Parts: sequence; structure tokens; C-alpha cells
Amino acid sequence: MDFEETSEHQMLREAVSSIAAKYGHAYFVDQARSGGKVAELWGELAKAGYIGVGIPEQWGGGGMGIYELSIVCEELAAQGTPILLLVVSPAVNATLIERFGTDDQRSRWLPRFADGSMKMAFAITEPDAGSNSHNISTAATKDGDVYRLNGTKYYISGCDEAEAVLVVARTGADEQTGRGKLSLFVVDLDAPGVTYTPIPVEMTAPEKQFTVFFDNVEVPASRLLGAEHEGLREVFFGLNPERIMTSAIGVGIGRYALSRASEYARNRSVWGMPIGSHQAVSHPLAKAKIELEQAKLMLQKAAWAYDREKNGADGSRGSGVDTGEAANMAKYAGAEAAITCLDAAIQTHGGNGMASEYGLATLMGNARLLRTAPVSREMILNFVAQHSLDLPKGY
Amino acid sequence: MTAWSWLCRCRRARDWRTTGETRNDKDMNIAVCVKQIPDPADPPGLDEATGNLDRSGKLIMDDSDSYGVEMALQLVEQAGGGEVTLVSMAPRGETSGLRTALAMGAAKAVLVTDEALAGSDALSTAKVLARAVARVNPDLVVMATESTDGYTGTTPVQVAELMGWPSVTFAKKISIQEGKAVVQRQTEAGYDEVECPLPAVVTVTAGVVEPRYPSFKGIMAAKSKPVDQLGVSDLGLLADSVGSQGARQQVASVEDAPVREAGAVVVDEGEAHQDIVRFLEELKVI
Ligand SMILES: Cc1cc2nc3c(=O)[nH]c(=O)nc-3n(C[C@H](O)[C@H](O)[C@H](O)COP(=O)(O)OP(=O)(O)OC[C@H]3O[C@@H](n4cnc5c(N)ncnc54)[C@H](O)[C@@H]3O)c2cc1C
Ligand SMILES: Cc1cc2nc3c(=O)[nH]c(=O)nc-3n(C[C@H](O)[C@H](O)[C@H](O)COP(=O)(O)OP(=O)(O)OC[C@H]3O[C@@H](n4cnc5c(N)ncnc54)[C@H](O)[C@@H]3O)c2cc1C
Repeated sequence: MDFEETSEHQMLREAVSSIAAKYGHAYFVDQARSGGKVAELWGELAKAGYIGVGIPEQWGGGGMGIYELSIVCEELAAQGTPILLLVVSPAVNATLIERFGTDDQRSRWLPRFADGSMKMAFAITEPDAGSNSHNISTAATKDGDVYRLNGTKYYISGCDEAEAVLVVARTGADEQTGRGKLSLFVVDLDAPGVTYTPIPVEMTAPEKQFTVFFDNVEVPASRLLGAEHEGLREVFFGLNPERIMTSAIGVGIGRYALSRASEYARNRSVWGMPIGSHQAVSHPLAKAKIELEQAKLMLQKAAWAYDREKNGADGSRGSGVDTGEAANMAKYAGAEAAITCLDAAIQTHGGNGMASEYGLATLMGNARLLRTAPVSREMILNFVAQHSLDLPKGY
Repeated sequence: MTAWSWLCRCRRARDWRTTGETRNDKDMNIAVCVKQIPDPADPPGLDEATGNLDRSGKLIMDDSDSYGVEMALQLVEQAGGGEVTLVSMAPRGETSGLRTALAMGAAKAVLVTDEALAGSDALSTAKVLARAVARVNPDLVVMATESTDGYTGTTPVQVAELMGWPSVTFAKKISIQEGKAVVQRQTEAGYDEVECPLPAVVTVTAGVVEPRYPSFKGIMAAKSKPVDQLGVSDLGLLADSVGSQGARQQVASVEDAPVREAGAVVVDEGEAHQDIVRFLEELKVI
């Protein structure tokens, strides 16, 4: 048993954090507000190989795992520059392509995930099938050599910066239950029949969200990822990385908020003593710190378990830790810690907490989002109730 | 052995090595001295008895040395061959500060670590570094102008003197032309261009290049790069010529820096400019 990270992990943290610090939260906010992207930051991270840390070496990546990618994600957020697209592009999508892709598909996309030259969006959510993926109505109908895709997805992040989108679509229905049989497709965002319009959201982030319309889009059969009708089972393999990465963003935002708050509480003085000496100020910060460290431990455990399981260490179940359970708990804890830490930090700053200059309220939307997306807090509680506590399912 | 006779030996050793090896003429082999220091963001205390800095915690690479590492890597890249070797003296076999520079691209390191070195002053440090550098047999030694923790700024020139090599300080740019180092040396007014034969010791000023971030591959490779760990006797030094025993410098006393006096507040009732002028005149700046 050992809780210490390797010197490589520490160096990775330092390197990512110093690159991110060079840009900083003000740059992030400027880009988000002006409709720009964090292209320079992404480019620098990509060049050093940090976006591709988890892609196998064979495809030009760093050959490590989700643990290392979650470090990158956490350190970026900890400097006030969280990058949401890391969750979908190199985590969910690359994982699915590595696992279910043909050799052609892997060699086409994995090297470009590895060098960060391509972003790919991920589309599962629909207006009438949110938390319930069985209800997905976007349909891909086989037509000779191709599929024809019709339907609508919404809240799809990053369509304006991605080249393609990985779409979860219905290719059939189970005769008995009527539930959709799903399949995965990689669809070019510039393919004829694909259109998307932005959904304004109250979150300061360079990534924009979109409603995406597929109008009789012709998708070559070579773009089917994995086996036809097996999409639901397959997509689950992308969900643990998604949860782990979301947790990392939460932990990073929590660290960012607490480091600002504790500095402020040490220096700001209104009654002749630093406000941090009032327990009403220090205790919420201390409580937030404890919750943050708990979330971080869960994050590390989940990422470690995921990589062990994937690499097949100690037999097929890897670590003996239930990865799905750990990843769900990490996501829950990371999101809650982000919200708790940010709220305590804003309160510590008094009126300044709301000022743009102090760079805290700007992250309120980002932290709050984590409780809802990519999977809501309630769906995690459902999972833990049913899966970990063996309680009956009510829906 | 006097410094001079030792130096002659190492010169001879150098000649012997260069003729015996198939070294490409163009190759640049550079030794960069890298000091590993307590994290300045979390400064340690002083040992009350000796006045020495407490070095018992984790040490990191002195930021000042990252510029030298970057410059050396660039020179090797420009030469199209050769390598960068790190040289460091640090307690307890500390390598964490070296790993950062190895991840940036240095090929290997020589680390001198020995309990006998505790309490070394700048001259003892220079003796140790000079011998370690001699083992590397470089074309050029790059050091920082001054360290962040001790900042006497005297070690590099002492190393040069012990080696019998020329030293050029305050470099903002180094280039190698026809086997010579051409150095832009910062001055108050601008810079001088200085040329000197190799091997030489050049000190690099902080901030003159942008140190690269280690790539992920570099980070992963760093662990397997060789770090040659040596003690005082491996360098042919006597334990009592270095460390606190050999130190000619001693910390006589340690005092808090004087607290800055509160400034005078001038309330402007239309006459404040006169007070300011008077103040500046007193300072003799106008
Ligand atoms: C900024 C942003 C970015 C996003 N990016 C993407 C993206 O890139 N790709 C993508 O596919 N999606 C994306 N989403 C969508 C996101 O994943 C969903 O909004 C989220 O999963 C919730 O689904 P829903 O909105 O349909 O909520 P609904 O399913 O309508 O749920 C509404 C509420 O009811 C609760 N609820 C529903 N069912 C149950 C139940 N059985 N038990 C208890 N409570 C329940 C939910 O927890 C929630 O609180 C994004 C959303 C946002 C806001
Ligand atoms: C009283 C006293 C006690 C000391 N005790 C110890 C001790 O217990 N253990 C110990 O290891 N050292 C010890 N030292 C050595 C000290 O930390 C310095 O290495 C030495 O004094 C050089 O002085 P400086 O930091 O002012 O370097 P400067 O002359 O300011 O340094 C200029 C450059 O020289 C190079 N350089 C300097 N020191 C080193 C080094 N050690 N390794 C590699 N490159 C270097 C760097 O490039 C540095 O930027 C002690 C020094 C003093 C004065």
C-alpha cells in the first residue's frame, strides 16, 4: 500500500501546471467571453504530448493511462483553465476507438488524438432521452453500403471545434421490450445533412454546446464503431473514463478556489486581524478542504483501478476494486467538492467574491455543471443504491 | 596535490581521452552545473548552531539553472551532436531536481553526495564541482550567474580558476564559432561580445531564454537516464579539505533583515510637489 505518486507523476503535474499558469484564468475568461478557444494552451499541451498521455505508444501517444490524463485535467483546472473537451475527446472517444475500432479506424484517429491535432465530440443526449439512453430516437438505417442517420442530439459540446462526432444511434429495437438496440458511429461534422446551432448556457467556458441535427446523413459502413446493435454495452466502456475525468475537473476547480480563498483569508483584515482567524471563515474552508481531499483520493483510486483493470494486472478484474463504483463515487465527490470549495471561496471573499477580477464567480457555472453533466448526481445515487447496496430499482 | 598539478593531470587526461575516442569534431559536450535547493516557495529555516540552511526536506532544481540547461540543450542541437551532462552536489543522494533537467533532455548526471560535504562553503563546493566536471571532460561548462538560496555568485569563477579555464560571466547568448565560444555578455549599458577558447566556464543570467517544458516522453525517459553518484574520495579529495572542516567561510551570525521604515505620507494641499522635489533632492537623485 502506497499513497505516494511517482516522480514522473509529480513532474507531469509541475509541467502542466506551469504551462497552464502561463495562460491563467484571465486568458481563459477572455477567450470564453470573446467566443475564442484556448487554442494556444491546447497546442502547447499537445506539442509536449500531454493531451495524448493515455494513447498507446504504438499510435504515437504516451502509453500511459487515465491516471495520467486525469492529472493533466486536474492541473489545468487547478490553474483556473479547465478544458472540458478533455473529457470527451481523448478520454471517452479515444477509449472507445482503441477498444472497439478496427485497425483502420485506430490508425486513422488514434495518432491524431495522441498529438492533439483532432478533437472529436460525443453525442448521446437527446431532448427526449436524457438520463434514459434506452429511449434514444436518433436512428441509423442501413441502406446498402451505408447508413442513413436521422435525429437530433442536444447539449453536444465543442461541435464548432471538433472534426467529427461520435454518435450513439438506434439501429433496431428489441422485439420483446421495445428498447432501442444502439450502435456507435463516427460522423464528420461537415458531412452533408449535419447542422448544429448553439445553445446559450450560463457558463464561462471556451467550449460551446450545440443542438445537432442529422438530416438523412449518409454514413459509410466503415464509420460504424464496434458491432452493430452492441452500442449500449460498448458505450459503457467510455463512461468510467468520463466520470474519472469529470472528477478531475472538479478536484482541480476545488484546489483553485481554496488556494485563492486561503490566501485571501490570511491577508484580508477588517477587524484588525486576518478574516481567516474567524472560525466562521476558516471552518467552511477547512471542511471544504477535507471534502476536496476525500474527492481526490476517490479520483486517484478510480483512475488507478481503471488502468489496472485495463492492463489486466492481477488477472482480469485487475485491482479487486470495483472500477465502476469507484468512478461513479469519484465523479460524485469531485463535483460536490468543486461546488463546496468554490462557494466557500466566494463567501470568504465577501463582495470581491462576485467581482470578475477575483476569478471565482466566473467558475460558478463550470462547477455547478459537474453536478448535472455528464451524468447527474441522481443517476449516480441510483447506481450506488442498486449496484453497491443492492437496493431495488424504481424506474 | 596542488590545484595546479592536479589541473595538469586533468588536462593530460583530456588530451588522452580526446585522441583515444572517436568523437565527432562538431559534437558539443556540455556540463551544466545544477544546484538542488529547498523549495523557495516553502522556505526552510536555518540551523541555529551553524547558521546553515536546513536542507533536510525535499530539494528541487534551482530555477536559475533551468536557463543554463535550456541554453546547453540548444547548443547541442545546433551542433548536431554531443550531449548535456548535469553536475550537482547535494545531500542524501538527492536527484529529484536533476530529474526535471533530465526530462528536459539532458543525457546523464554526475551527483556528488557525501556526509563529509555538510557545511561546505563556496570554495569547497567549487573544488567538488571542478573535479566532477573534469570527469565529464566537456567542451563547455554552463552555470548560473548566482543561485537562488546562497547567491554568493562566486562558485562558477572558482570552478574556472581551479580548472584553469577561462570564464565568461553574465551571458545572455552563447554561440560556438570555429571551436570558440562567442558570448554576449550583459552589461549595464547593453552587452559586450566576448570570444574565448574552449573549454570554458560560462555563467548564464536568469530569464535570457525560455526553458522548455519537459515533454511527456522526456518525463518518462528521465528515470532510466544514468545518474553517476560519487563520494568525496571518488573525486580524490580529502574529506577534511571540504565540508565544514575545509570551509574557510563561516557564518558568524544570522540576523533578521532590517524592517523597512514606514514611508512619509504627504497630504497634498496644493504644495505636495515641493515636498516631493525636496525628498528627491535629499536622495540626490535630482
Ligand atoms: C454544458 C453541458 C454540456 C454537455 N455536453 C454534452 C455532450 O458533449 N454530449 C452529450 O451527449 N451530452 C452532453 N450534455 C448533456 C448532459 O449529459 C445531460 O444534460 C445530463 O446527462 C442530464 O440529462 P438530461 O438533461 O436529459 O436530464 P433528464 O434526464 O431530463 O433529467 C432531469 C432531472 O431528473 C433527474 N432524473 C432523471 N431520471 C431520474 C431517475 N431515474 N431517478 C432520479 N432522478 C432522475 C435527473 O438527475 C435530473 O436532475 C451536456 C450538458 C450540459 C449542460
Ligand atoms: C555555511 C554554508 C554551509 C553549507 N552547507 C552545505 C551543506 O550542508 N550541503 C551542501 O550540499 N551544500 C552546502 N553549502 C554549499 C552551498 O549550498 C553552495 O553550494 C555553495 O556555497 C555555493 O554558493 P552559492 O549558493 O552562493 O552559489 P553561487 O555561487 O551563487 O552559484 C552560482 C551557480 O553555481 C552553480 N552551483 C552552486 N552550487 C552548486 C551545487 N551545490 N551543485 C551544482 N551547481 C552548483 C549553480 O549553477 C549556481 O547557480 C553550504 C554553504 C555555506 C556557505
